[in-house]
Amino acid sequence: MKEIFTDLYKKVVGFFQIQEKENEKDVEGNRQVACNRLKLVLMQDRTNLTPFLLERMRGEMIELLSKYVEMDTEALELNFEQEGDSMALMLSIPVLRAKDEEEIQELIKLEEEAKTKVIEEEASQEDEEEIFEASEEESDEDIDEDISEEVCSCGCENADESSNSPDEIEEIQDGSAKNCNEKTKK
Amino acid sequence: MGRVIVITSGKGGVGKTTTSANIGTALAKAGQKVILIDTDIGLRNLDLLLGLENRIVYTIIDVVEGRCKLKQALVKDKKNPNLCLLAAAQTRDKSALSQEQLKSICDELKEDNDFVIVDCPAGIEQGFQNAIAGATEAIIVTTPEMSAVRDADRIIGLLEAKEEIESYKLLLNRVRPNLVQSNDMMSVDDVVDILSCSLIGIIPEDIGVITSTNKGEPIVNDEQSLAGQAYQNVAKRIMGEEIDFLNLDEPKGVVAKIKKFFAGLFGKEQKA
Ligand SMILES: Nc1ncnc2c1ncn2[C@@H]1O[C@H](COP(=O)(O)OP(=O)(O)OP(=O)(O)O)[C@@H](O)[C@H]1O
Ligand SMILES: [Mg+2]
Repeated sequence: MKEIFTDLYKKVVGFFQIQEKENEKDVEGNRQVACNRLKLVLMQDRTNLTPFLLERMRGEMIELLSKYVEMDTEALELNFEQEGDSMALMLSIPVLRAKDEEEIQELIKLEEEAKTKVIEEEASQEDEEEIFEASEEESDEDIDEDISEEVCSCGCENADESSNSPDEIEEIQDGSAKNCNEKTKK
Repeated sequence: MGRVIVITSGKGGVGKTTTSANIGTALAKAGQKVILIDTDIGLRNLDLLLGLENRIVYTIIDVVEGRCKLKQALVKDKKNPNLCLLAAAQTRDKSALSQEQLKSICDELKEDNDFVIVDCPAGIEQGFQNAIAGATEAIIVTTPEMSAVRDADRIIGLLEAKEEIESYKLLLNRVRPNLVQSNDMMSVDDVVDILSCSLIGIIPEDIGVITSTNKGEPIVNDEQSLAGQAYQNVAKRIMGEEIDFLNLDEPKGVVAKIKKFFAGLFGKEQKA
């Protein structure tokens, strides 16, 4: 008697289980969408990183890390989490393949070469600029305003940040300007 | 020396005042000496929830402006002599009070009470800064909605930055288990995970909260109601007891219901 019941029970449960799984698939979205949107917006709130800057950070991170490992860049997850008193940046990327040492060395070499090229170019640019500045000094008073809006000497691409507020743009430019100086110093 | 706990949220209307009234009442019922302070100047409500609106003579503004002594402004609860309310003024605004004034009131009240519960106004401006000025603990009230959770995160950031706040906990209000089960609402775990903040309570959506407000009697006085029990448990956790969270879940979906039915039939849970 009990076996019949157990068997019947399994069949009934089995039937509904299949159905339920199918239902869950399309409603899972609703709650998950809320969670995902919220996580993203909190990341921006907590760090003052605009979507533009986040995307840029993501891009740079992929560029840097893919020198060493081959990864699934589509599945890269970037999260800021509160860990007690401090904030932690959690980065999770599925690694597709570890690169072998030769490959890595090759890429590093290419990169170094590219760097020295840039520095050489910058140096020659700076020479030109010095001459330019010298001539400027003579008529200093007239062009005060122009100087405050000075664009970074290496021509790094900060021009198209229309989504940012003016102070933010200035900050970025300041930041990259410093970087350029550092590079040229080396 | 008593503890000063601020009940705050960022977003308005999520249940700060309801929570203050219920926690205060529950603590007082457990024998603790409790003072409730309404700092929502101009929008006072705590008196209504406690049914004390007709007994208020002096408000917190009268105290800071020297028209009465602090003790004179404390209104005793109808049922519970352990519980007193320091009401907000209805005819003034937040600027009538300063952080220093609130801090000194809290400091004075914690001398001879076990708990000082501060009901904070919505927002993150002066009213909020005033309310947290005297507190060393905070309860952040939120609901499982995106905007409320986002505002709670902001509040957590501000509390983190304030040294005097030694600990803060999350209270999740208006949870509707059936909506969570149908995946139409974020679950308790989702919210806790996103905010990375530990929980002090889960309060279900309960029509009784509204009807009890009408009567001027906090829902913790109704021991049958689920929200009342949940608030009771929050008070116990505040006093340091370890209490499991209420299981608000209905058996999930058809499968669980069939299992439950068969379990009843055979007298134990079956595995499919
Ligand atoms: N668990 C609940 N179930 C049902 N209704 C609730 C619950 N909690 C709060 N409410 C209702 O929500 C409304 C707002 O609650 P309350 O006044 O406590 O919020 P608040 O955060 O103090 O608002 P404010 O920001 O305006 O001060 C009230 O009408 C209250 O009855
Ligand atoms: Mg309120």
